[in-house]
Amino acid sequence: MEKEKLEVLIIDYIDGKLSDADRLSVEQELMRNEDARKLYDELKEVIDLMENSGELTPSTKLKAGFDRILKEEAASSSATRTIYFRPTFYRAAAAVALLVMSGAIGFWISKNNQQQQELAELQREMEITRKQLAETKQLMHAMLGNDQSASQRIRGVNVAMGISGADDEIVTALLKTMQMDPNTNVRLAALDALAGFQHDAIVRKGLVDALSKQTDPMVQINLIQLLVQMKEKVVVKDLQKIVDDAGTMQAVKDEAYTGILKLS
Amino acid sequence: MTDEMIMEAVKSGDLHQATLLFERYNRRIYNFLARMTMDRALAEDLTQNVFLRVIKYRNSYRVGARFQSWIYRIARNVFSDHYQSVNNRYSDFVDVDRISDHIAENDDREKQEEKEALLHRSLAKLTDEQREILILTRFQQMKYEEVAVLMDTTVANIKVKVHRALIRLREYYFELERI
Repeated sequence: MEKEKLEVLIIDYIDGKLSDADRLSVEQELMRNEDARKLYDELKEVIDLMENSGELTPSTKLKAGFDRILKEEAASSSATRTIYFRPTFYRAAAAVALLVMSGAIGFWISKNNQQQQELAELQREMEITRKQLAETKQLMHAMLGNDQSASQRIRGVNVAMGISGADDEIVTALLKTMQMDPNTNVRLAALDALAGFQHDAIVRKGLVDALSKQTDPMVQINLIQLLVQMKEKVVVKDLQKIVDDAGTMQAVKDEAYTGILKLS
Repeated sequence: MTDEMIMEAVKSGDLHQATLLFERYNRRIYNFLARMTMDRALAEDLTQNVFLRVIKYRNSYRVGARFQSWIYRIARNVFSDHYQSVNNRYSDFVDVDRISDHIAENDDREKQEEKEALLHRSLAKLTDEQREILILTRFQQMKYEEVAVLMDTTVANIKVKVHRALIRLREYYFELERI
């Protein structure tokens, strides 16, 4: 048996902490191994010496010292609390004044604390919302930037749609996707998402500007429908240009023409 | 009434209840410090300091915490503060008269005294941590679980440390015996 393992087993054997099987194994080792027996005897001697060492008794000075400490502490505690008022009238007046003051202070502290707690809670919630928004935006950018997968980019657009209240960063990302994405479905999804934010001035301007630049017929038709629905009369000139443009698909021209009629 | 209930009462301002805690713990803390310092007079001063801290810092006692662990933590801090402030670690030399509680009456008793003296000299050669762990588990018969709580570690870790300390103590003891 290894020495270290044997040492551990012998200590546990002396402490009576071994299973029956281990105990038997140690006893057999002690019978046949003289070194093990010596180790056992030596460990047993030091362990017994410690465990049978008598308890030491402190002198009476210790208790006297403790009593003195306790007395001093009790005196200093009560001294800080007691204020004496001699005539009973003053005592009563002081008691009433203290009661009123402590009530007022208590009310003020409690109100102040409540306000501070509410403020802290509000700040905490705002911080959480801010963090969540930052994480969501990060996710959106990562998905929209996935050149390999159109479906991932569409999911990115959906993530943007899920954010309540568009800011410049989201609108810019969606407008860019609507204008530049190589996939029609992604561009349409971006347009749908922007439609959700149509009451935002930045979005409206972005959509109006996009009409003159957009060349994808599917997106053009949907964009015209959206702008007409938004009653954006400033786009009539751009719609007229589309109608007049010889290179534009007939279906887009028809939609533009219908739009001009509705907005005029 | 449990130690914890008494300490909660002390914390709430019923200072005289601290006497009960003193009665329950003064000998144990004194013995712990006497074995740690190897000096009974010093141990008395330090024990007094422990109870002073129990009273002074009663508000720092966390309701629900085990009182035994709390007071032993204070005792360990008092011991450590004392040696840090005076910078007087004891050497291998131990004045056994300062720790021994017996007067030899016959040959057997004398032999036992010699063994105990040897044991204390061997304990003094251990590291502070090894000595402390043996004092707590062997002299004070504290369970490994209790020592693990006190030292913020696991029971398995304490068991390993106890074993190592015992092996080392045995080596020192029989080395010194041969001298």
